[in-house]
Amino acid sequence: MSTRKPNDYKSELKPIWCPGCGDFGVLASLYRSMADMDLDPAKTVIVSGIGCSSRLPHFASTYGVHTLHGRPLPVAMGVKLANPDLTVIAVGGDGDGFAIGAGHFPHASRRNIDVTYLVMDNEIYGLTKGQASPTSLFEQKAPSTPFGNPEDPLNPLALAIAAGASFVARGASFNTKALTELITQAVEHKGFSYIDAMSPCTTFNNTQESWKDAVTDVAPDHDPTDRVKAFDLALRGGFSLGILYRQERTTQTERYKAILEQAKPSDVNVMLDGFNARKGAAIGKPA
Amino acid sequence: MASIPAANGPARPRCPESSRGLPIRHPGDARPGCNLYGGTLSARNSVVVRLAGESGEGVISCGDILTQAAARGGYYTQTFRTFPAEIKGGPCMYQFRLSDEPIWSHGQDVDLLVCFNQEAWDLNWDSLGPEGVILYDSVEVTIPDEYLDRARPVRMDELAKEIGGSTRAKNMVAAGAITAVIDFDTTPIEELVLRRYAHKEGVADANIAALHAGAEESADLKGRYPLVPPVEVEEDRMLISGNQAIAVGAVAAGVNYFAGYPITPASDILEWLSVRLPQVGGLTIQCEDEIASLASVVGASYTGAKAMTATSGPGISLMNELIGYAGTAEIPVVIVDAQRGGPSTGLPTKTEQSDLNQALYGSHGEAPRVVIAPVSVEDCFYSIVDAFNYAEEFQVPVLLLTDQGLATRLEVIHRPDPEKLNIVQRKTSAGIAREDYKRYEYTESGVSPMGLPGEPNGMYVATGIEHDEYGHPGYTPEIHLGMQTKRLGKLEPIRETSRVATHGEAQPEDIAFIGFGSTFGPVREAVDRLAEQGLSVGAFYPRVLGPFPASRVETFVANAKRIIVPEVNYTGQLARLIKAETNINELESVAKCDGLPFTAEAIIDLAAQEVAA
Repeated sequence: MSTRKPNDYKSELKPIWCPGCGDFGVLASLYRSMADMDLDPAKTVIVSGIGCSSRLPHFASTYGVHTLHGRPLPVAMGVKLANPDLTVIAVGGDGDGFAIGAGHFPHASRRNIDVTYLVMDNEIYGLTKGQASPTSLFEQKAPSTPFGNPEDPLNPLALAIAAGASFVARGASFNTKALTELITQAVEHKGFSYIDAMSPCTTFNNTQESWKDAVTDVAPDHDPTDRVKAFDLALRGGFSLGILYRQERTTQTERYKAILEQAKPSDVNVMLDGFNARKGAAIGKPA
Repeated sequence: MASIPAANGPARPRCPESSRGLPIRHPGDARPGCNLYGGTLSARNSVVVRLAGESGEGVISCGDILTQAAARGGYYTQTFRTFPAEIKGGPCMYQFRLSDEPIWSHGQDVDLLVCFNQEAWDLNWDSLGPEGVILYDSVEVTIPDEYLDRARPVRMDELAKEIGGSTRAKNMVAAGAITAVIDFDTTPIEELVLRRYAHKEGVADANIAALHAGAEESADLKGRYPLVPPVEVEEDRMLISGNQAIAVGAVAAGVNYFAGYPITPASDILEWLSVRLPQVGGLTIQCEDEIASLASVVGASYTGAKAMTATSGPGISLMNELIGYAGTAEIPVVIVDAQRGGPSTGLPTKTEQSDLNQALYGSHGEAPRVVIAPVSVEDCFYSIVDAFNYAEEFQVPVLLLTDQGLATRLEVIHRPDPEKLNIVQRKTSAGIAREDYKRYEYTESGVSPMGLPGEPNGMYVATGIEHDEYGHPGYTPEIHLGMQTKRLGKLEPIRETSRVATHGEAQPEDIAFIGFGSTFGPVREAVDRLAEQGLSVGAFYPRVLGPFPASRVETFVANAKRIIVPEVNYTGQLARLIKAETNINELESVAKCDGLPFTAEAIIDLAAQEVAA
């Protein structure tokens, strides 16, 4: 039974987001989910990149690392590897995760780092005032694409499944109850859990109404352990909300733990012995 | 002062290409005669051996086994290698210097040149010293007539085939021939061969037979080039490279997280720690790039780990943004830069000291960091301990600059005693009440206690955005000035307290050498030899270049007629730093940009030539 309430996770700082921003809904869902799980704030680390949504750690009363643009995943990996007792949640936007930080996403996925990655996807750069992002639609007009976006959008969910993420889901900021539940399942999942949280930018790319009309729930008979079907669902148009893919696989933390358990204990003096070159010294093990 | 003789007789004319620095030897240089067959040369306390051949012919393993055997035989050694940047094929070279006394440089004039093939001769003949002799493969190599009196053919290929059925043991024939000429006991070599091939029956025997056959081949030259035998000492010594000294030193300092990306010439550290860190409860991970490497190191250190990465110039270029982040968020990290020739991909397998500017000033804004440059292989061990100590004490990124030469050369060093090291741990928020805790609190030292996840009262958000004492974003003039003063000001005491490597006069009157990193060895040797000429000479090598010990440098040069600043780069980065940080206006910047380390002889020639000019 949880003893903590969502408000216990609020910091004294108020979010700096525009009125109506989807990120409020995501933050509320995160507070509620953390309360549902009764997460110890002192053992929870929220790691973010740079962007509107990446300000999130400042609004939570947990440990936090507000890193550089695009770098929350490798920082989160270091946090988790160095202290596996911590719950590590990485957050950020679509520009942070899929443009400048895209090089890290497949590796976090294939390594199955034991981190939850919550991307607030608004298909636009908000903080820099409305330029096209990697998830912006073809022909979308923006200050940097005055003739319409000449590029096709990236599909983060398909990418996550292809790269080996072991938990892939989609939620929406305007459906906080379901999103709360998704976050809880993602955090409780062992391994890399990715949530694409549709989070409209009401200032530069107000998709709120169209997205509300477009979303459907993942069909109840969808088998999330079937990777091919999950991939099919991710590639299909439209927005299915829910868990697309879930896989049981040893995590990076577990694999490194196994390496540690197998290692023959040693110390620095033994290591120095490996370089021994004293006159007449016995020939030791190779250094 | 006008009478300083050059190291090797009269000064040679300068080659136009070397106008930025040093004389280089070129064909046609007069050299005194040397006859290998005409009696015994005087006993040496130092000998320089260079092996050359095609990559894959066993040149490197021959050099390695001789160096190891010599170290175990009680000699001091230092190696010098050049590698082709390609994996297979290409010319390769392995040079080692042996002495009964500590060695500070790899030596310039080769005493014994061993040529495995014709190209080896063509590429290396001009390294031969005035009394240098040559061993060469009797079939593959043709030596010009004027060198025949100092050259001895060795049936390397032929004997190897006779003994082992292939040319594989050619290098052991060569090793045997070398042992005879320098009068070196083969026992330690045999022991090493037995160990190396313990699992392969017959191979060890064939190699030892090849070794003896080689020694027999040049038996008539035995003792012709005698080396003073080492003194018996009861002392622990090690044969180790700069990269290895850094890796084992990091373990002594308590490293428990290493992340890296393969890059020449730093990969040894990643590989060595991959095996050893788990043995002491730590982790080594290979990341997708250098950015992820340092990012994960930042994350690990945030939780309290002692974390480091190691790379070379291109990797540092990628890490620069995170160096600024770690400085601003005040997270301790250690970054090793084994410098190689730049810019861009540059010369991956050659040496250069051209990342000093990048280490000192890299990353936008004015980001705090400490920059350390060890001066020898032994110093690599102590400097990585310093690096962790500075990182922990000042909560700052620390860059440790070595270079390809220092990182990859093997050297006999005195075994360090880990018990005697002073290991610093960071100040944490433990024991501070939650309502009183401010992560970035202004303190007298500028260092504020760091909250570590798990500690209930230390919660904060680490951030690279400008922030107030709580870590909350804030951009007022007071906050920015206050925090820059805190972050940069906390490092100021290091200027007066950092370790310095010195040699010779503390305040020389004739020549003051100032340098950094691996040029210390040859300069130290040159200082001794110049002092023998009656000159007042000294060397001052700051081990910490940022923050720079400006007033201590000024004191050192106060009485000096000449200030010489040797460095291996094009623009004279240290010379510029000295001019920027001190009141010194007149100095001789000797920037050498050829991808090769300095030799002591080059430093001496330089001192002599300037006087002649």
